[in-house]
Amino acid sequence: MAEIKLKNLNIEFGSFKAVDNVDLIVKDGEFVVYLGPSGCGKTTTLRSIAGLVKATSGDILFDGKRVNDLSASERNIAMVFQFVSLYPHLKIRQNIVFPLKARGVAKAEIARKLDWVTEVFKLGDDLDRYPGALPPGARQKVALARAVIRDPAVLLLDEPLSAIDEQFREEMRWELGHLQRQLGVTTIYVTHDQREAMSLADRIVLMSDGRIVQVGEADQIFYNPVNMFAGQFIGSPSMNLIDLRPAEGGLTLGASGVHLSPERDGLPVWAMNSRRPLKLGIRPLNVELVDDDHQGPSLDIAVDDVFSVGRERFFTFHLGDQIHQGVDKRKTVGSTGRVRFAPEGFLFFDTETGRRAAPEVSA
Amino acid sequence: MTQIDASNRKRSSGRLMILGFLSPSLAILLFMVAYPIFSLVYYSFFNFSALRPAAGMKPVGLGNYEFLLGDPELWERFVFTGEFVALCVSAQMLIGIFIGYQLQKNFRGRDLLFTALMLPMMMSPVVVGFLWRYMFNSEWGVINYLLTVIGLGKVDWLGQTTAALFAAAAADTWMWTPFIVLLATAAFRGIPETIYEAAEVDGASPAYTFFRITLPMSAPVLFIALILRLIDSFKQYDLFFALTGGGPGSSTETVSFAVAKTAFSYFYTGEASALAVVLLVIIIGLSMILVRHLNKMGERY
Amino acid sequence: MSRSRTTGIDLAARWLFIGLLILYTIYNLGPIFWLLISSFKSRMDLFTMPPKIFFTPDLSGYESVFGVGSAKDSASAFGVFESLVNSVIVSTVGTALAVFLGTLAGYVCSRFNFSGKGDFMFFVLSTRMLPPVAVLVFYHLMFAELGLADTRFGLILVAIFANIGLATWIMKGFFDGVPQEVEQIAIVNGYTRMYAFLHLVLPMVKGGIAATAGFCFIFAWNEFAFASILTTTKAKTLPVKISAASGATGIEWTQICAAGVVLIIPVLIFFYLIRKHLLMGMTFGVLGRR
Repeated sequence: MAEIKLKNLNIEFGSFKAVDNVDLIVKDGEFVVYLGPSGCGKTTTLRSIAGLVKATSGDILFDGKRVNDLSASERNIAMVFQFVSLYPHLKIRQNIVFPLKARGVAKAEIARKLDWVTEVFKLGDDLDRYPGALPPGARQKVALARAVIRDPAVLLLDEPLSAIDEQFREEMRWELGHLQRQLGVTTIYVTHDQREAMSLADRIVLMSDGRIVQVGEADQIFYNPVNMFAGQFIGSPSMNLIDLRPAEGGLTLGASGVHLSPERDGLPVWAMNSRRPLKLGIRPLNVELVDDDHQGPSLDIAVDDVFSVGRERFFTFHLGDQIHQGVDKRKTVGSTGRVRFAPEGFLFFDTETGRRAAPEVSA
Repeated sequence: MTQIDASNRKRSSGRLMILGFLSPSLAILLFMVAYPIFSLVYYSFFNFSALRPAAGMKPVGLGNYEFLLGDPELWERFVFTGEFVALCVSAQMLIGIFIGYQLQKNFRGRDLLFTALMLPMMMSPVVVGFLWRYMFNSEWGVINYLLTVIGLGKVDWLGQTTAALFAAAAADTWMWTPFIVLLATAAFRGIPETIYEAAEVDGASPAYTFFRITLPMSAPVLFIALILRLIDSFKQYDLFFALTGGGPGSSTETVSFAVAKTAFSYFYTGEASALAVVLLVIIIGLSMILVRHLNKMGERY
Repeated sequence: MSRSRTTGIDLAARWLFIGLLILYTIYNLGPIFWLLISSFKSRMDLFTMPPKIFFTPDLSGYESVFGVGSAKDSASAFGVFESLVNSVIVSTVGTALAVFLGTLAGYVCSRFNFSGKGDFMFFVLSTRMLPPVAVLVFYHLMFAELGLADTRFGLILVAIFANIGLATWIMKGFFDGVPQEVEQIAIVNGYTRMYAFLHLVLPMVKGGIAATAGFCFIFAWNEFAFASILTTTKAKTLPVKISAASGATGIEWTQICAAGVVLIIPVLIFFYLIRKHLLMGMTFGVLGRR
């Protein structure tokens, strides 16, 4: 087990900066998920921790020991790759024990460990088959078994579930989380799938363009995003972003002319008085379509379309040429309704910098 | 009616196409392969000389085969051919796999070097034979000169049986190692990078990775290379014709060489036919293994 | 990917490997270089010890090969021109026909499943595997019987026979690389399969046909065993002519070296043409398909 520390980590490929000055501490036994769009540098960071990519500058420390100059095989890490990396010419059994054999571990010890992972991963029936005979999900399970068999200090997972069928992915995700807690191994997991990140992570590291945008627990990032990117990347459907324009006694929503006032709609006064241009970020679950006879403040906005996702009903509307989403909370589905913005869901962003605009961010 | 007609017509047009496209090839094959082979087998049961067709064909049953079996000189041909095959095929595989592994890596000028190294296998075996005979000349050949430069004595390369065997193997290895390099490089490059990364993370040393991952994963392709080389070196004729002429004495005659000599120098056509049949059986056996593997590879890729 | 640490042993191994690669390169390319410079040596320079790397170039080898210059009308003239013509005719016509037949057969084998297909494929590839001398025992008789001995026509037949298997398999490989949908769409649109083959599929494998022709030409051009037994005087090809330079007066090395270079030049040209398809050609279209 180990604590991982990244200090001023920079990785460049030619003139391209893949990882830009990253600092991070992953605590011993912690499950950290790197989340971000493709090309954001999350996989490169992971590969540099693994020792497959050389850091251009900065330090990678395992338990305070600098490992930059150690090769992957000397770092006592294990890794599961995005695409199946089982050795096709070896049986499942031989695949799993490969890391032990490569290190010259004694036969009896190998047999004991094999029994253990076979038990944990329920691989008994597949041991004497070849990888080609297994479905992709089962193959990744074998890859995971191969990774943990020698008690690595650090477990690195590079989008391990992305090549697996949706149905099996759920199950694997659950098993993976369960296993990690059971083993207590420090784990770094890379994904672009926010659902995976939110269900697995102790902490999420959100990355964009080679930099860390925000680090925190899933709820923390969801309710308190530091900028527009964080707000939009996490949460599904995605957060609405609406331009705010100064108006007499409040703000208008974009070019629509719809008015938002402190008294009626709960618009914070500081936002109304802000001298910088702001955008309103509001998640669809805080934009409610209510019945015509709804008591309380509501906005006069035309509804474009209503659609269902599972048991939830959503609707779309537009302000200017921007399309936004909200939740349909009407008791009866009719052609008319009124829109309510829940003030507890208001997030304000500085239009120019993208950063959260608030009197106190930690609210 | 139209539907049935259409499907009928389509099927028959397919059959017509198969027939039309294959029959010329089939005709050539029947005339140039099947007919000669059947005739060979037929002749192998007769005492017959092409030089004196008027003398007629005396049926001897299995006489020719019995004679061959009892001929110690023929056994020598087989032993020599076997030695030659073992020596040059193992040298080609070893060197070819090593060079192929080096050329699998990317470096500047790799493609140019790779292409240049392929040249020898494109040359005429006769030219190769004469070229090496020229270089192996015991008095003024460049190879003996190089040997003296590094302080070794001259070797009478083509005048001694063992030395001639090594000389022939060196020439054949020179010509055909590029073929192994070609296939080995392709096989090695077909292994995904992730597999190597996984092996590195798993703690495998480069040597362990090579022997436990790279080689076994390339085995199907290398096997094809091996069988092809076995076939080609087993039937080698041109090279020996030009390089040693079968000498000294008849000590470097391969089985193919013996067939040619029996048929076209001594004109023992019946006996030569029997020997040719034996050679064919061996080659066809190897070819069947090869084709089965080629078809398997064809499905996989 | 770059390994993070290079140990002393790794470094030593790396230099050892580079050294061995250089050594092999010398072994591989040295003889070709030696052949080239020897072809420009005079008879005197050829036999000097130690061998000369720098010398006055002498064209006597080439003159005697082509029967020109000082070698004109001389008794030692090699007079290779006639066999050069034979080689060109036999190789080009043989190649053209083998590729034509191989293209037809390769297409059918790529697109249709018919009974005996596996046997046909094996049968056709056997032409590449058969030891020439074995079939020659009978060809020798058959060619004499049919009046084909020592004729270009006979050698063209042999060139077709020797290359048809290679051509069929390589072309099948190229056709396998063309999606079946090409013909299916054409047929759905009311064209015949023949039309689709001629106007859609064939243009897509133009490069493949050229590469196949390149391979067949090289093998036909280099062919020795058949030509040496089936020709006696007028249909001799260049490789046979070269082997004849080892006559009663010993081996004419200047001529052999020069003739060897002459023989290699067309090979170099075709080799350049097929260099991208080398893997495919040498494995009968099974590997390296693109």
